[in-house]
Amino acid sequence: MAASYWESSQRRFWTFSREQLDNIRQKLEEEDQNLVQSYPLPELRHLSFYFNQQIARLGKRLGVRQQAMATAQLYLRRFYTKVEIRRTNPYLVIATAVYLACKMEECPHHIRLVVSEGRTLWPGNFFSSDTSKLGECEFFLISEMSSQMIVHHPYRTLTSLQGNFSLTQEESALAWSIINDHYMTDLPLLYAPHIIAVMAILLALVLRPNTTGIQSASNSASNIATAAQAALNSASQPRPGTGDRQSGPRTKVQKLANWLAESNIDIEGIVNCTQEMISFYEFQEQYNEKHTREQINRFVKARGLDK
Amino acid sequence: MFPLRRPPFHPTDRGVGHNVGYQSKVRVIDRYKVIGFISSGTYGRVYKAVGRHGQPGEFAIKKFKPDKEGEQIQYTGISQSAVREMALCSELSHVNVIKLVEIILEDKCIFMVFEYAEHDLLQIIHHHTQPARHPIPPATVKSIMFQLLNGCQYLHSNWVLHRDLKPANIMVTSAGEVRIGDLGLARLFNKPLHSLFSGDKVVVTIWYRAPELLLGSRHYTPAIDMWAIGCIFAELLSLRPIFKGEEAKMDSKKTVPFQRNQMQKIVEIMGLPSKNTWPNLVSMPEYSQLSTLSLSSHNKNGSSLEKWYYSTINSHSGTSVPTSNASLGAEGYKLLAALLEYDPEKRLTAQAALQHPFFSTGDKVSNNCFEGMKTEYPHRRVSQDDNDIRTSSLPGTKRSGLPDDSRPTKRIKE
Repeated sequence: MAASYWESSQRRFWTFSREQLDNIRQKLEEEDQNLVQSYPLPELRHLSFYFNQQIARLGKRLGVRQQAMATAQLYLRRFYTKVEIRRTNPYLVIATAVYLACKMEECPHHIRLVVSEGRTLWPGNFFSSDTSKLGECEFFLISEMSSQMIVHHPYRTLTSLQGNFSLTQEESALAWSIINDHYMTDLPLLYAPHIIAVMAILLALVLRPNTTGIQSASNSASNIATAAQAALNSASQPRPGTGDRQSGPRTKVQKLANWLAESNIDIEGIVNCTQEMISFYEFQEQYNEKHTREQINRFVKARGLDK
Repeated sequence: MFPLRRPPFHPTDRGVGHNVGYQSKVRVIDRYKVIGFISSGTYGRVYKAVGRHGQPGEFAIKKFKPDKEGEQIQYTGISQSAVREMALCSELSHVNVIKLVEIILEDKCIFMVFEYAEHDLLQIIHHHTQPARHPIPPATVKSIMFQLLNGCQYLHSNWVLHRDLKPANIMVTSAGEVRIGDLGLARLFNKPLHSLFSGDKVVVTIWYRAPELLLGSRHYTPAIDMWAIGCIFAELLSLRPIFKGEEAKMDSKKTVPFQRNQMQKIVEIMGLPSKNTWPNLVSMPEYSQLSTLSLSSHNKNGSSLEKWYYSTINSHSGTSVPTSNASLGAEGYKLLAALLEYDPEKRLTAQAALQHPFFSTGDKVSNNCFEGMKTEYPHRRVSQDDNDIRTSSLPGTKRSGLPDDSRPTKRIKE
């Protein structure tokens, strides 16, 4: 429903304020206090990161395009606003989200293929070879999402804006990968896709892509934050007609800032997104996959959720 | 596997969770009282129902057939077309598109609950052939067309191709409001990861199939729905399908045959398409087949649609019914011709069709297609043979028809 994001189920039912989202999650944990206390889990962004990795790995095995994986990630995130993680087998939910997203994004895979790739990816009996388990989980997933499966992604806005800001191929690619990364955060539940897309363009311009890409850039997260903030500040005080004719990232940032100032786009939202993204890149360095996996696997085994 | 959220966790329940399984939070029979059976198809069955909790109105509940492995109903993954229909219907909201009330996933079955529509165009057209042919009143035709185009315009502006528009899929409520129904073949065309062609090879009931599809086009557009609407318009006027061809069946290798007979029917009225008026014609995969069609002398010189139109709207029925569609006049022909334009790029869009003088000349178009009518159409037949929506066996519904596109035989890589 690209023509009508404003009327979409995504905007109406699956976009929250930070407070709302925190409350929803707190309520879920409160309903299952004993369970939560018996099985401590790493903080949510570690889980998100881990889940995202699993989706990416399964997607890669299946040859799934990025957009379908993004849809799967959003399904997973929506689902876990309705269901306490410890009540599910995350591996099964992940495989189901990928299976369903592929159908929605018109690149379907047979349920048996998804299950067999999952079996290879998650050895040690964390994932059943019984396809009917995945079929059952599909009912659960769709039901919790109220059949609202059409998803709006920021990629479309990025594609349509990259010309406006004369993004180079590297800048576009970087913006694209920032969008990929934002699925590991709560941002897709908090902001409209066009806000995310503008944030990604801004960050891409500020990060100034070079061959080393975003990984190295994230090392200087605080510098990026400063630069992005400066750019956004200037959006509130536009200086139209800046004389210089260079087309370097600096002028592009200025152009973006001017464009934002003239548009009705929620600049505060972009600021918040930028900060959230930057803190995500900072956090990424402390992520411990092994620890996260162990804690997940512990409750899956202990509660017999793998059966 | 999935324990219920309540009752709350108890230390001793560890490990028993997987015995519970997915359970719906609501049950169909608790919420609805089934009052009869409407129809069945390859997808499953449709029942008429009323609410048990004071939900206003009546409902049509579409129950998707569960898959069976032996006698046991199993979760085997929901077909892609069901997933599409569920997702699209949950998203769409327009006065001329059938309204979804809710979806209940229960006992390995999918129940889509829609508002109930008393009539459909197939039934209305049929009624006008009984006992003798008498035309559908012009104001009704005009209102139906406007509402149909309005719904289609909404779908297209939301990047949805319906792909199966035909009289049986166009519902009409007792208040005379047109509702486009059955989005089982519909899909989004804004982001096809595969070309729209690769998903499902056969689309649209053959009589309503656009010439570019018959000629093997792999790149199709909203224009295919507009051709179908042109065919429906013609059928509302003449009370029989304008291009009633015979479908050539797929051979054992599942290659899609050229639909010679259907193309022949089109050519008989529309004349042969030419590359002058349809520049992309020569690049159609089945282009070479066109020259093998037999042409009678009268359509060698192009389209006889105009003749078809005027003889249709001026024909008087055998009975003494005075209504004729002559008042639809020249604008009616122009609209029909613009919808049945060979070149999909030149074919009228839904947006443009709504602006057509056909709708602005003459009487104002009503939102109630029955306005001013004295007779009432017979109600939808509801049989009492099968009132048990929960029975899992579905006699007489063999899996056939469209290939199930959720099961690609070959793994396709991007």
